[in-house]
Amino acid sequence: MRRLIPIALFLPLLVGCGNRNLILTVDILSFMDPSTRVVNYGPIPSGFPVDTVEVFSDSLNLLQGVGDVTRVASASLDIAASFDNTTGAGTGDVLIYFAAADSATPFTTTAIADVPFQLLAGQVTNVSTHIDASPALAEVLTHDRAKVGLRLIFNGTSFPIQGTETLTKLTATVVMKKDL
Amino acid sequence: MMKAGSVAIAVALCATLAGTAAGQTLDARRLGMGGVLTSDVGDHTGSNIAFRAVPKGTGGSGSIPLPLGLIQYLSDHPSFDSKDSTFNVYEIANVFLNPPLTIQLSKPSEVSGDISVYVAQDSLMVDLADVKRVIPEHSFKQGGVYHIGGIGKSFGRMFIQVSPLIHLRNELTLSDKLRDALKDAVPFTSNTRYGLTDEGRAQAAVSFQAGYAFRALHKASASESNSNDPRRNGSTALYLGGAPKYLLGIAYGDVHSIAGVTTGDTLFASGNPVTIDMDTQTRNALAGGDGGTGTGFGSDVGAVLYFQNFELGVGLNDFGSQIKWNTTVRRHVYDDVTNSFTTTVIARDEKFTSRIPVTTTVNVAKRIGRTTLAADVVKGDLRTSMHAGAEFWFGMIALRSGIYRDQNKMMQFAGGGGYRFGKLGLDLAIATNSRNIERERGAELSASLSLY
Repeated sequence: MRRLIPIALFLPLLVGCGNRNLILTVDILSFMDPSTRVVNYGPIPSGFPVDTVEVFSDSLNLLQGVGDVTRVASASLDIAASFDNTTGAGTGDVLIYFAAADSATPFTTTAIADVPFQLLAGQVTNVSTHIDASPALAEVLTHDRAKVGLRLIFNGTSFPIQGTETLTKLTATVVMKKDL
Repeated sequence: MMKAGSVAIAVALCATLAGTAAGQTLDARRLGMGGVLTSDVGDHTGSNIAFRAVPKGTGGSGSIPLPLGLIQYLSDHPSFDSKDSTFNVYEIANVFLNPPLTIQLSKPSEVSGDISVYVAQDSLMVDLADVKRVIPEHSFKQGGVYHIGGIGKSFGRMFIQVSPLIHLRNELTLSDKLRDALKDAVPFTSNTRYGLTDEGRAQAAVSFQAGYAFRALHKASASESNSNDPRRNGSTALYLGGAPKYLLGIAYGDVHSIAGVTTGDTLFASGNPVTIDMDTQTRNALAGGDGGTGTGFGSDVGAVLYFQNFELGVGLNDFGSQIKWNTTVRRHVYDDVTNSFTTTVIARDEKFTSRIPVTTTVNVAKRIGRTTLAADVVKGDLRTSMHAGAEFWFGMIALRSGIYRDQNKMMQFAGGGGYRFGKLGLDLAIATNSRNIERERGAELSASLSLY
């Protein structure tokens, strides 16, 4: 995606044509491999009350050039996931990581989102959250590439824990101001 | 420096988006009559060469603009500092499109609001919000023929004149898909070309002109002994004028460009998701450079007939005006694979004849006592405008009103008044216009002195 959408490069100029913001909404989920949106977890047997599953780590191609003439005023993230838990029970956390493209792994950074969840056997659990004003997110989203990672942490109370996690929403919104 | 460049580009872009920019009428008397033109209102000699031969009447012989708008501008002008929170390139562009020589009574709300872009792997939607107002339904056209200043001397019915002449024309057309995406926020789709074409031309010359205007036909009226003004003495008279001109071409350039972006199967896929195409052909000549100077001839011709205080005038400026050049033709093609331009010289010293578009002015007027009713149609290179107005004198006080169809095909309204002090008059006019990037109606107050 070397040149991405050249039209997008036209936009910062328009942002300069007036006292306004450029509100960039990126459906990050759509850029991810569909297979990475769904992960089968478990079976987590008893004896492992805390288990970690790294769902994916992927590189994203973002809008290059936007950062050249704009500065980020704010950034936010909307995330939603669905757990179809077949057996076991427990609580847990969905952790989202963003890192610069040259990072070896996004998991070495501090998670920018932590979404708690609770699982019961035979139930579907939907979780979602909105993260506002994340400087780390703002930083990576104004570069043309970034890495994103998703990690699940399970705190089991009934075993074995097994099911399917589906990431249903991952949308970043960046508000940029002109910087001509 | 980069930022200054960005601002300059943004201003230029905004000015381009503005499309047409018509000249201001600084003559408040003419403006109050809707910008109408007659042999004694407005441009007395510029639009119809035959007006030169018509005796000076009671209707005035010239005007001196009073640029009161400068006071308003100095007290409240847009910020030119891009770091200023109030910085708005559209406001700056409007300063150029609508020079602050008149007092702005009302102006369109400034282009503001946030721009929203939604990006997914196979979806891109751009909502320009308020900026949509700037994008016209059809192509962006701008330009005109400009006779700037010059010096001249009259010898009775004859005159000679030397003046610069500049012709500019640019027409930028967005493809339907691109216009829909920008103006109506229609999502960009895969396997679609979003293109634009640009046709531009600029030429500059020095005009050496000699002219002759005279009364060709005359039938005296009973009241002619009291006044020699054919506008009001009821006589029948035909005045003709002609002014051939030699044109020394200084520079010529034109560009014909086609460019576009074609999306792939997926808008934001890996690799190169879009294919860029651009094919531009240029032709140029320049005094002291490629091709040297050009030479050509042209003319201004006109006629005006008076019959029972009715006036009918037809003026053709730059009639048959052409300039012959020795041009260099180049083609610039963008290679999407190598991400570079290839320039090929197609021809050197190729003979080319450029045309200066004719400007046709047809005016009618009827004087009834001290009342003047008038209308005109002015057809130029890019647009046709129409004006109609009236002037009523009550002693030393004049009342005026008028309407006109402007360059944006909008009806505008005008009114004003004046007071005459002997050989001098003070005129005020309020008129609407759409000389702004939003192409929306605003109102201005103009002031000038009339010479009688």
